[in-house]
Amino acid sequence: MVNANAERRELQLKLKTSQEYRQAGFAWAGSLIITVALLLASYDWETQTVKPYVALASLVYAVFTILQVLVTLLIRRDLRIYGEIRSITRALGYVLLLSLVTGNVFLGTAAFQLIQKRKSPEYTLAVYTLLTQLGVIAVSAINLYKPYVADTFLTGMFILLAVAGFHLLTVIVTAVFVRRRQVPKGLLWVAYPLLLTSLTGNLFALVLGIILIVRIRNSGNPAVAGWEDVLERLTRNTTAMLGLLFIAFLFSVSVCSYVTFDYGMAVDNNYSLILQPPSLAYPLGTDNFGRCLFTRIIFGARISLIVGVMSTVLPLFLGGTLGAISGYYGRYTDNIIMRALDVLYAIPGILLAIAIIAAFGANTVNLILALSVGAIPTYARTMRANVLQVSTFEYVDAARAFGSSNRAIIFKHIVPNSLAPMIVKATLTIGGAVISTSSLSFLGLGIEPHIPEWGNILKLGSTYLETNSYLAIFPGLAIIALVLSFNFFGDGLRDALDPKMD
Amino acid sequence: MKKKSALALLLTTVMVLGGCSVATKSNTVGNTAEPAASEAPATAPAGDGTPVNIDVLGMSSNESDLNIVRDQLTKNGFNVKLNIQPDYASFKAQEDAGNYDVSLSGWTTVTGNPDYAVRSLFITGGDYSRQSDPELDKLINEAATQTPEEYTQTYKEFEQRLVFDEARIAPLYISLKSQAVNKEILKADTVRLSKSRALAWEDIDFNDTAKRSAEPLILSQAASTLTSLDPIKGNDGSINQLNTNMYVRLVNLTDDDKITSDASLSRNHTIADGNQDYYFILRDDINFAKIENKKAVDTGERVGGDDVVFSLDRAKNKDSVPDHRTYSLHEHINTVEVFTDLNALESIKVAGGNGTVKEALEKGLDAPISELVADKKQANNAQGKYQVVKLTTTEPFPQVLNYLAHQSAGIVSKKQVESINTYNVATFDVNKDIPYGDQNTVTEGDQYNNTLYTSGPYILSYKNDYEGIFLKNPAYQKGTDNEALIDQVNVRFIADADSTLSALRSGEIYVYYGVPETKYDVVEGDSKLQLKSIPSNGVSYLLFNTENREVAKSVDLRKAVLYSINQDEILAFYNGKKIKAVSTVSPLIDTGNVLTADPAKVKEFLAAYQASK
Repeated sequence: MVNANAERRELQLKLKTSQEYRQAGFAWAGSLIITVALLLASYDWETQTVKPYVALASLVYAVFTILQVLVTLLIRRDLRIYGEIRSITRALGYVLLLSLVTGNVFLGTAAFQLIQKRKSPEYTLAVYTLLTQLGVIAVSAINLYKPYVADTFLTGMFILLAVAGFHLLTVIVTAVFVRRRQVPKGLLWVAYPLLLTSLTGNLFALVLGIILIVRIRNSGNPAVAGWEDVLERLTRNTTAMLGLLFIAFLFSVSVCSYVTFDYGMAVDNNYSLILQPPSLAYPLGTDNFGRCLFTRIIFGARISLIVGVMSTVLPLFLGGTLGAISGYYGRYTDNIIMRALDVLYAIPGILLAIAIIAAFGANTVNLILALSVGAIPTYARTMRANVLQVSTFEYVDAARAFGSSNRAIIFKHIVPNSLAPMIVKATLTIGGAVISTSSLSFLGLGIEPHIPEWGNILKLGSTYLETNSYLAIFPGLAIIALVLSFNFFGDGLRDALDPKMD
Repeated sequence: MKKKSALALLLTTVMVLGGCSVATKSNTVGNTAEPAASEAPATAPAGDGTPVNIDVLGMSSNESDLNIVRDQLTKNGFNVKLNIQPDYASFKAQEDAGNYDVSLSGWTTVTGNPDYAVRSLFITGGDYSRQSDPELDKLINEAATQTPEEYTQTYKEFEQRLVFDEARIAPLYISLKSQAVNKEILKADTVRLSKSRALAWEDIDFNDTAKRSAEPLILSQAASTLTSLDPIKGNDGSINQLNTNMYVRLVNLTDDDKITSDASLSRNHTIADGNQDYYFILRDDINFAKIENKKAVDTGERVGGDDVVFSLDRAKNKDSVPDHRTYSLHEHINTVEVFTDLNALESIKVAGGNGTVKEALEKGLDAPISELVADKKQANNAQGKYQVVKLTTTEPFPQVLNYLAHQSAGIVSKKQVESINTYNVATFDVNKDIPYGDQNTVTEGDQYNNTLYTSGPYILSYKNDYEGIFLKNPAYQKGTDNEALIDQVNVRFIADADSTLSALRSGEIYVYYGVPETKYDVVEGDSKLQLKSIPSNGVSYLLFNTENREVAKSVDLRKAVLYSINQDEILAFYNGKKIKAVSTVSPLIDTGNVLTADPAKVKEFLAAYQASK
C-alpha cells in the first residue's frame, strides 16, 4: 500500500519534471483547439453545406492531434516503465515534424523537443529560428496565388529559402555539437552568418548568434552568469516561447514584406474585386475598396509593432531615468519629480493621447509620443521602488566607500540590478500599447485611413460586421494574438527572472 | 536523412513554381496604368516624371470618397496628401484658411430649380461662391430669365465653361436620397420622400393612432449644433429640416418638385402676365406659436400679410441681419406688398393663359373674394375677406417661386423678430447681442430663453446635446388635413451613420433620413424596415482652391485633376447606387455633357503644367 503510493508519487514527479511530457500535453491540447475551430468553420450554417477545403484541413489536424495524443501516452508509458523516454518513441517525433507542413506550431515545437534527448537552450533557440523562418516563407509563398507578385518577390523568396536552409543546418549543428554550456570554437562559423541572417528580422537568429559568440568567448571561464539560468528557464517555458515565436514571426514578416509583398495590393483600390470572400488569391478576402485584406494585415503589423514597441521603450527610458534619480537622491529631488509625475498620472492615459493627437495632428511620431507620455509615471514608480531597495545593498555601500561618483553608482551598480521588473513590466504593457494604437486608429485619430494599420482595418471591418464579418474578425484576431503573445512572453520572462518561482 | 529530403523536395517545388509561372508586378501590370505605391514618394511618371503634390481636404464622414479620389489621383501621378477633418466646423475652418488644393464638397439644390444650383456657388459674390468669372456670371443670369426649353442649352454652355474649359470643379456623383422607416411603428406611406423638399413632419402618423398624443415621433439628424433658427441665417443640414417644419412658406414643393400651395400659407397663387408679378392669397387659420414653460401655446397672433412682407424684405436684404446666409437666393425679389385693390385684381391677366388673377386666386375657395383687407386681423376667409400679397421681381424670373418654397423664405413674426433683434446690424457684437433664433436661447442651461415665434406646424421647445424636442403648434390650420397629427417630435442628434442605423434597427428612432448607399442591403434585409430611395439633387464634387495655390493659377493642373476622376469606379464602389454628374445642375437638367476619365489627357495636362512652371 505504502509502496504503491510512493510509486505513484514517483511517477507523478517524473511526469512533472519531464519537459517532453509536459510539452506533449500542451501540444495536443493546443492542436485540438485548432482542430475544433477548423471543424466549426468548415460548416456553413447559412447554406447548410460543408466547405471541403476547411473540412480537409480539419481532418489533417485531427489526424496529427490523435497521433500526438498517442505519442503522449507512449511517453507516459515509457516514463512509467523505463524511467526515461526510449529512442523509438523519440523517433516518432520525426513523424510529428510533418505537422509543420500544415502550419501546426504546437506539434512542431513539441516534436523538436521530443527528437533531441539532451536539450540545450541553443538547440531550442535554433529550432525557433527555423520555425520563424519557415513561417515567413509559408506566409510569403501564399503570394504565389495572386495574379501577380512584387518585382522583388522571387529574389526575396530564394534568399529566404537559402536562409531557412542555413537555419536547418544550425539546428542540426547545435543538436550535435552543443553540450551543456559548452560550445566548440568551430561554431563561430555558424554564429556570424546567423547574425547576418537576422537581417531578415529573425530575432531568434540574432539572439542565438550572440549567445553562441558569448559562450565561445567565455568557454574557459567556469563561472556561470545569471543570464544563463534565465535563458534556460525561459527556453523551457513553451507558452512564453510560442509568444515570442509569434512576435518574432511578425517582426520578420514586417521586414521581409518589403521584398516579398506588394504594397500596392494593400493601398490601391481595385473596383473589380470589392468585398470578395476569402479565396486562394485573397486568403482573407478583400475589403470594400477591393484591397487584399491579407496583405493589409501583413503591412499593418509594421505600424502596430513599431508604435507598440516604441511607445513602450520611450517611457521605459524616460520613466526609468526619472525613477532612478528620484529613488537614489531622495528628499527634495524625489518629491519634486514624483509629485510632478503624480500630476501626469492623474490624467487618464487614453484621454491624454486623444488630446495630444487632436492638438498636434495624427501621424506615427505623434501617435508614439501621445501614447508614451501617459505611461511615464508608472515606469518611474516601478523604477524608484527598485532603486530604493537596491541602494541599501552592501555592494552599493562598497562602491560609495571606494569613492565612486553618484553617476557611476546609479548606472553601473543600481540600475542593472533593478532592471528585471522593468523589463517584465515593459513586455506586459506592450500589449496594452498595441491595443491603444488600434483604439486611436479605430476612433479615427490614428494615421490616414487608407494606410494599413490594424486599428484602421478593424474600423473598416466593423461596419461590415453583419454582411462581411471576416473583414473585422481577422484584424481582430491579429490584435488578440499579438497582445496575447506579448503577455505570454512577459509572464515567462517574469518567471524566468525570479528564481523563487522555479 | 528524412529532413533533408523533405527540404530538398520543398525547395524544388518552390523553385519550379517560382521559376516558371510567377507573374511579377511590372510584367503583368505593364506601364500603362501603373498603380503607384503612395508609400514611396516617387510615384508613377507624369509629365517630366516628378509627382505633383496635391492637398485634398475633406471630412471623415466622406472617408470613402476621399479614399477613391486619393487612389485615382495617385494612380495618375499625383502625390496626394489627405487632410481629413472630423466635423464640418473644423473642415470649414481649414477651408477658410485656404489649407487645401482641392476640397471635397457637396451641394444639394433644395429648391429644385437649376438657378439655385449655380447661383450661390458660382456667381461672383454669391453667398457660397469662391469663383469670379464674368463669363459664368453672364450665363447664370441669362439662364435665369429663360424658360425650361431655352435654358437647357444655356446650362450646357455653362457646364462647358465651368467644368471642361476652366475646370473649376471636378464632379464626382449624384447621390440617391433615401429613407428607412420602421413600418411596425409608423404608417410607412405617410412618411414622404420628396426630391427636394425636406421631410414634412405634419403628415407622419403612427400605425396605432392612439399614440398620436401619447408618444413622440422620434427622428434623427447628424448635426447637434444648429446654425440658427432664424430661417434666413442658415442653409445647411443642421437646420433645413427643422426650419422647414417650424416656419410656413408662401408655397411648397411637391414630391417631384412642382410648385404648389398645398400645406402652405397661401390658398392659391398665380403669375401675372409678364412673369414679373406674383400674387398669393393667404390663409387665415394659422397663428404663431410660442413656448411657455416648455409647452407650446397659441400666441393669438395671426400669420398675415405684414409678416410675409417683413420676412421676404429681410430675406432679400443682405444687411438685415449679421451673417446673412441666404440673401442671394432672394436677390431677384424687387418688392413685396399687401395688395388691397380688388378692382385691379380683376383686370390683370395671368401669364400664358386666359383669365384674370382674381379668377386664378379664387379657384377652389369656399367663399369667393368679396373684400381685400390690409389688416390681418380683419381677414375672415369664410366671409370672403382675404389678404393678398403681391411680389414683383427685378426681371421676369419664374424660378422665384422655387426660392419662396425654400426654408429661408419661412414666415417669421414681424412683431417678435423686431422686438428681439434690437441690436444695430453694423455694430453687432456676437458676445453681447443675442439675435432671434440663436441656438443658445433654446439650449437647456443658463442661457435658455426661448423667444421663438413659429408659423409652421411645429415649434422647438428646447434642445440639448442629445435631442431637440419639438411640439405641435396648437393653432396651425386646425381642423384641416394639414394639421400636424403627432403632438411631439423628438429629433435625436446622432453624428455617426452606423450608430443611426443601429438606433433605427433597435427601434430607438423611427425614421432614418439619408441611409448610406452601402447600407441598403442591411435595411432591406430587416423585415420591420421599409427603404425608399429616389435620385436626389445632391451632387458631390471637388472644389479647387481659388487663392494662393498652384491649382488656382494653372488651368492645366486643374484639368489634370478633372480627368483623373473616374466616375465609373465610384459607381462600382457604391454598387451602382450613385449617378454620374457633370455639375450641380446635372440632377435637374439633362445637358448631355459627360465627363470621361482619360489618363492620357492627364499626362498631357501635367506635362503642360510642368512646362509652364
